[in-house]
Order: sequence, then C-alpha cells, then structure tokens
Amino acid sequence: MHMTPMTYEQPKTSAEAVAILDECGIKAKILGGGTDLVVDLKHRPGGVSVLVDITTIPELQGIEETSEGLRIGSAVTYTEIMSSPLCRKIIPVVCEASHTVGAIQTQNLGTIGGNLVTCVPSADSAPGLMVLEATATIVGKDGERTIPVEDFFVAPRKTCLEPSEILVSLFIPRKNLSKPSFFLKAGLRKGQALALVNVASSLNVVNGKIVNAKIALGAVAPTPIRVPEAEKFLEGAEPNEANLRKAADMAVEVAKPITDFRASADYRKQLIKVMTYRALQSCVDNQ
Amino acid sequence: MLVELKVNGEKRSADVPPETTLLKFLRENLDLTGAKLGCDVGDCGTCTIIVNGKSVNSCLMLAVKANGSVVTTVEGLANSSELHPLQKTFEELGALQCGFCGTGMLMSAKHLLDINPDPTDFEIRDALTGNLCRCTGYTKIIAAIKDAAKTLRASA
Repeated sequence: MHMTPMTYEQPKTSAEAVAILDECGIKAKILGGGTDLVVDLKHRPGGVSVLVDITTIPELQGIEETSEGLRIGSAVTYTEIMSSPLCRKIIPVVCEASHTVGAIQTQNLGTIGGNLVTCVPSADSAPGLMVLEATATIVGKDGERTIPVEDFFVAPRKTCLEPSEILVSLFIPRKNLSKPSFFLKAGLRKGQALALVNVASSLNVVNGKIVNAKIALGAVAPTPIRVPEAEKFLEGAEPNEANLRKAADMAVEVAKPITDFRASADYRKQLIKVMTYRALQSCVDNQ
Repeated sequence: MLVELKVNGEKRSADVPPETTLLKFLRENLDLTGAKLGCDVGDCGTCTIIVNGKSVNSCLMLAVKANGSVVTTVEGLANSSELHPLQKTFEELGALQCGFCGTGMLMSAKHLLDINPDPTDFEIRDALTGNLCRCTGYTKIIAAIKDAAKTLRASA
C-alpha cells in the first residue's frame, strides 16, 4: 500500500524536534522505530505530511546507571534493552516484557518510548515499568517535565503529551533496581500476538512480611492500570498463598476488561485472577 | 531524498520520496525482488532483510531511515559459485513448499545464526515467530536451520 507524500525531518536535538512539531501542528508525526506509525500511515494517513524522525537525537539514546537510578532513552529498541547485561541484571521484568513485543523484527526496530506513546491498553512495556515506579521525562515548548509512567496514559491511543511534546527518556529509581519482579502475558499464541491480559508485579519480603507491593495490569481497562487496593492489602501481609490469592481477586474487581474478538471479558477476568497470583507468587519465590 | 546503502557488499543509491518503504526501494529502485510484499503491516515476515546486523520488516522501515546502512537481502546469501549453507539445507530437506515465505525465513535464520551459531530447537522457533508459512511446513524449516548451523560451525 502506498503512503501519501511526506517530508522527512531529522532534528539533531529535542529542542529542534519540538520546534518542528510546534510549527507543523497536526500535519506532523513523530517517527520512532515506525512499527506502529508506518502501519497507521498506510491505512489511516489522516492528513499527516511531515515525519519527524527522533531516533538519532542523542538525548533519546542510551541506557545509563547513575547514583539515582537507571535512565533509558525513549528511542532505545527492545533488542537493545534485552541484550543489555545491565538491564537483564537489574530490570529483568522490563527485558521479559520486551521479549513479548511482536517478533524479533519488531523488537529490532521498535522502541520502548514508541510502545508507550502508541498508548494501546495492551502495551507490553507499561506494566513492568509501572511496578518499578518508572517516571517519564517529557520535553516541550515550556521546558521539561517528569511524571509517573502511569500518568502518561489518558485513554486508548491518547497520552498526556501536548502536540509539540516528546517523550525523551524513562527513569527507574535506584530503590527499585534489582527488586524482585515478574511479568506475564497471555496472548492467543506465543509469537506476534497482542496481550489478552498482561500483568507485572514487584514486591519485597522483609522479616516475613510483604512490603512495597506493586501490581500493574494491561489490556483490562482503557489504559494500563495499577491496583492500589491490592497493593495496600499486601503491605505488611504475610506472603502466603491465601493473601496472594486475595490480592489477585482484588485485581479482578478493579479491572474492567472488554469482550472483543480476541477474548470475552469473563475469560479475561479468569486470566487476571490466575496470572496476578502467579506473578505475585513468583516475586515471593524470587526474594 | 537520496538514499545510499551498501547492499550485499555493493554501494547502491536512488532518489526516492521520503514515504518510500525500504521494501519498495529494494524491489522497485534496486531491482532486488527477493524480499516479498506480503501483509504489508509487519506480521508475516516475508519482507525480512538484515540492516546493520539486525533483522527487520522492510515493509515497516522507511528507506530514508536506512540511509548509510549496510543491508543484506536474500540475494546476498549465495556467492557466484555456490549457495549459502542455509539455502543448501532448505533445498535438501524440502523446507519450502510454495516458497513465498522462504526468503524471509532464510533471512531470519541468517540473523539467528549470526548471533547464535548453535541454537536449540526452542531458540529456532522463537527466532521464527515473525515469519509465517501458510503451507505450514515449519518442521522442515527448523530441521534445515539446525543442519545449516552444523555446517557453518564445522567450517568456522
């Protein structure tokens, strides 16, 4: 399928990218790995005539550990994350999630920032980042702002980004590096499938009690969600099966899955129940 | 926009509009028709090629983004005197039926063996998740990749 005529911009800095977006308005689209955008442009061109390729901007590159935590540029590909020994060691949950996005060809092109910006409810990168309390750094006309990743999602395919803003990087605070965590995804098949449900959790067990429990779910509500009720319930609870199953039941209560051609809402609820329990149990087992 | 690539060891270039996919660029501007147009949305993998050592769906990559890259397509596997070990084992084991998925399968297999010379069956299957064969001949494809890996290891 042919695309409508475009111009192509390759800004060298995020400020330059913001200026182009500001000038071109809705005609402009940010081009990352292109694994979502190019498909959209073929089928729903929507008047887009300017592509702003941000993948060569240095600020959007790189994986760096600092004294405060781990910074990942938004244009870092899934393959770069998975093949980083540092990421495999200190944020395995994000690596596991990256491995489930599309197929290898998608992982080689697709970027972690792009997965968040596309903002589908089933975004596989989201739950893992959310249970590590990652923040997103955004640059726009009025400068830079940093927000929790879960506040980035507003509605299906709608982020909190203003039209001329770009997602520059993600940051995971030091306290959550190497924190026991787990990601699970159920799709209709193993490869190349959108999640019916995805779940991530993280927690510590200190003196026989659960602390810092975090649970995030994808594909079960208009955006990826945290489950604060269950997190609160687990705080200080013993890491036994009954408590973990109760937390999983609370996750089912919070979720609002839909019925579509992939699965019914009831089936998704069953998945949430089983997968949330398994994710929590795996965190307990991996202390 | 002028796009210059090193394709299968040779410098090639053409002036194309920015919305041109790398697949279209290869097929229509460089006459390299090995990579096929299948689903056109990145699901089927028959357009798979290798760009700077990474397998990609060339239907999803714009040619301008590949400017300056080193590209390998299925045409770059064989040399003038013999087929690549993967092509030989695909032929010997009958790993192709209609053949439409074949060039993409070969390139995903090449990418796998470049980074993992001794893959397990599981790793081969995982490497092929982005390549669909609708004749459903996967078993022989997996066997052919295993055999080729053995040949390549012996000659390394």
